Amino acid sequence: MLLARKKKEKIDPDILALSKIVGAKSILHHKEDLLSYDCDGFTIHKAMPKAVIFPKNTEEVAAAVKYCADHTIPFLARGAGTGLSGGAIPLNNEVIISLVKIKNLLSVDYENRKAVVQPGFVNLKLTNSISHKGYYYAPDPSSQYVCTIGGNVAENAGGAHCLKYGVTTNHILGLEVVLPDGEVIEISPNGVLDTPGYDVLGILTGSEGTLGIVTKIIVRILKNPESKKTVLAYFNRVEDGSQAVSDIISAGIIPAALEMMDQTAIEGVEAGAFPVGHPPDIEALLLIEVDGVAEGIAEQIEQILSVCENHHVRDVKVARDEEERGRWWANRKTGFGAMGAISPDYLVQDGVIPRSKLPEVLEEIRAINKKYNLRIANIFHAGDGNLHPLILFDSRIEGETEKALLAGTACLKACADAGGSITGEHGVGIEKKEEMRFIFSDDELEAQTAIRDVFNPDNLLNQGKLFPTPSKCMDIKKVVKPI
Amino acid sequence: MSLKEKELLKNSPPCSSNSLSNYLWEDHPDEEKWADCVHCGMCLESCPTYLETGQEQHSPRGRVHLIKSVAEGKLEVNEQFMDPVFQCLDCRACTTACPADVDVGGLIEEARGQVRQAMPLKGVKRVVSSFFLKGIFPHQSRLQAAGGLLKFYQKSGLQKAVRSTGVLRMMPNHLVEMESIMPEIHRSTHQRYKNVDVIPAKGTPKAQVAMLKGCIMDVMFSDINQSTINVLIHNGNDVVLPKNQTCCGALHIHAGDRETGKKLAKQNIEAFQDAQKVVVNAAGCGCALKEYPELFRHDPEWKARAEAFSKKVEDISKYLYDTGYEKPQSAINKRITYHDACHLAHGQGVRHEPRQLLKDIPGVDYVEQPNADTCCGSAGIYNITNPEMASAVLERKMENIPNDVEMISMGNPGCMLQMAIGVQKYGRGGKIVHTVQLLDWAYQADAKKGVKAGVISEKEERENRS
Repeated sequence: MLLARKKKEKIDPDILALSKIVGAKSILHHKEDLLSYDCDGFTIHKAMPKAVIFPKNTEEVAAAVKYCADHTIPFLARGAGTGLSGGAIPLNNEVIISLVKIKNLLSVDYENRKAVVQPGFVNLKLTNSISHKGYYYAPDPSSQYVCTIGGNVAENAGGAHCLKYGVTTNHILGLEVVLPDGEVIEISPNGVLDTPGYDVLGILTGSEGTLGIVTKIIVRILKNPESKKTVLAYFNRVEDGSQAVSDIISAGIIPAALEMMDQTAIEGVEAGAFPVGHPPDIEALLLIEVDGVAEGIAEQIEQILSVCENHHVRDVKVARDEEERGRWWANRKTGFGAMGAISPDYLVQDGVIPRSKLPEVLEEIRAINKKYNLRIANIFHAGDGNLHPLILFDSRIEGETEKALLAGTACLKACADAGGSITGEHGVGIEKKEEMRFIFSDDELEAQTAIRDVFNPDNLLNQGKLFPTPSKCMDIKKVVKPI
Repeated sequence: MSLKEKELLKNSPPCSSNSLSNYLWEDHPDEEKWADCVHCGMCLESCPTYLETGQEQHSPRGRVHLIKSVAEGKLEVNEQFMDPVFQCLDCRACTTACPADVDVGGLIEEARGQVRQAMPLKGVKRVVSSFFLKGIFPHQSRLQAAGGLLKFYQKSGLQKAVRSTGVLRMMPNHLVEMESIMPEIHRSTHQRYKNVDVIPAKGTPKAQVAMLKGCIMDVMFSDINQSTINVLIHNGNDVVLPKNQTCCGALHIHAGDRETGKKLAKQNIEAFQDAQKVVVNAAGCGCALKEYPELFRHDPEWKARAEAFSKKVEDISKYLYDTGYEKPQSAINKRITYHDACHLAHGQGVRHEPRQLLKDIPGVDYVEQPNADTCCGSAGIYNITNPEMASAVLERKMENIPNDVEMISMGNPGCMLQMAIGVQKYGRGGKIVHTVQLLDWAYQADAKKGVKAGVISEKEERENRS
């Protein structure tokens, strides 16, 4: 990319300085090039960055961060930009530090079951790179085909199989981080579990890019389970499906994954690119996977089938082979994007509730659906009570975006009131920062921002995310006009 | 269209739905297509240009975002918009990856149409582009003449002279590479079957098919056209080569010249009017033929005709697979891998059929390559217009070709040329072949041994289908 497009074009001195750090080919600063960076997977708010830079190593990240810090320029980190809560949207005309060029798998230590990756390394590529040895990386967000592990750390990403194996934070053994003043630190550099002292890894994982920029990650890798079986069950009534979820867990089974989709969601995935042929007239389907030692799997499957039978399952089947299992999962994992086939826009929410409250909360979501006259599809990790109501709307229709936002807030309120939380795995970002008040008091929020101030005292790094802005909490929900 | 007409068009309401739009010409990118995109990003890792640059304006969702931004009046149709839109390989890998089936390829082609009208090519580029796209490809006689020249170049000793004198050093690298892998020119099927109406099936005919000869295919790779005919007649098909057929127009549409694309489409639709089946051996052409209805979005009469036509189009490997083919008995003892041409795998969803065909040849030691369906960088004439990116994409492709293969099989002439460059440039083994050639060679070996052609047992046919 040429720095100046026209001969007489005057280049901003900050752009010139940053281009000296990363190289003229690794910086974007013309409006047309920046437009693709005005949002991430959350498209309701849009804002233009000052520039996008593509550093190639930790040193360049540190130098760029230092320059921004010294010149009070707001900045933030971005990976694949698949985040669903707007964590990578440059609300304050930030310099975006894109980590997609720092994308290598540095080393794998099979004996000690760990791997060292760079932040731009794509989640699924890790599993693909180690599967020939019989290993895999457990956290599997639905966007794992494209999302980066750096982004996973920032958002503490979850996924379908986190019910049994835990979310990202349970798989992080060490980090290299560029602090907001440009200093590079290493935390648990040998990847040894449970170093004494405060759990700094825990604080950084899920900090949504507000505490530092991760440049190297030591992750835990797992041995492939000996055996794996997947069940698909169709229910005429959503209540039966929810009850089956509860009963499976009560039976003492911990499935590797326990996913649910409702009728509207099924309509979406069947209209999308990976249809399975689910019947259109069922209210709920469950996708259940158990894995582990081969012995015992059959017994668990028997138990699951009988629970489903007890709850009037219309049809239930076990995947014949890996190919069929793959098709079921592709259908589920591309579920969000598939909504594009039935709606021009969607807003995905990410509430958590106690499993036992599933039927009630779903009922409430239906009422919200009616109140705002918007369709809501539900795709969720039923096993751990992580709901994803997808509010379908058309931003081209005047007022619909605002309505969708209100409906989203109402869904989260319902989750919080049921004793749950406003986010399970997508993060707070811009989207849910006001809703943080549903679960935290002012004092609790203040205590958390005090932690942020230790790392990020000038608040130049990813400003305006994660916590409600104290003074103007009421304006925040107003949709930022696209630039 | 005259300049005056263009100006008139400019003054008419630019977009039916949105007066802010900066698309000033007819046939602008279709809002319904981008409305399906929810910006989820699942396309990113499938896109060769994103993998290469890491920049989102060179990714499918980034391009869709820009195309939409022009319609929203946030961006103009200018150089900066042109760059991402023309850097796209049009490989359609994103269409496969997209959960919502967004037709990114269609949007890109429509956007290119707008760019080319807003900023017509100038200077050398204009001359070269219109010489080939308008002056050569659509005209059979000129194509044949060009083929004759190439043949003369190769046979007369001129090629030898050029290669030894260092004239090539004066040419850009990518053109030198192309010169070096130019296949040997044979007599075209156009000339060979000039006076033949129907090439009869061996044995009892079970069907009659029409074959698209293609423009470049018939000049550069007429031996593949011949193999296609051989294989078709071997399996009980009468073959016709409709006289008035022409270039499919894919290259024109990719380059943003939709008007010529439409003209060629109409000519082909008429030329194949009486055909029941149109068999194509070039993935890019097959895909273009199947997408003709897209060109006539705003022309109901031709749209209907195009739809009827595109239903008849089938790739040779799929046609053979669906209608049954005789498994050869002679062996080809080679280690072979298969490369998915983008416009076959992503464009037409044909993946399994050609692989099965290879596996049905005795002696073939088939080995799957990783990422078999990523683009090789050929992409029509992309390797000529965007040599740098094409060569980077090719390098990635070559990294995936297993070291010990003796042949690389595929179903598209553009890929064959590009892969040949790759094999040569990186000093790799592997003869580049068209899938149908292998089948033809095995049949020919059968014939030498006296195995009778054109007889497929019911059992074999059932097996073929399953």
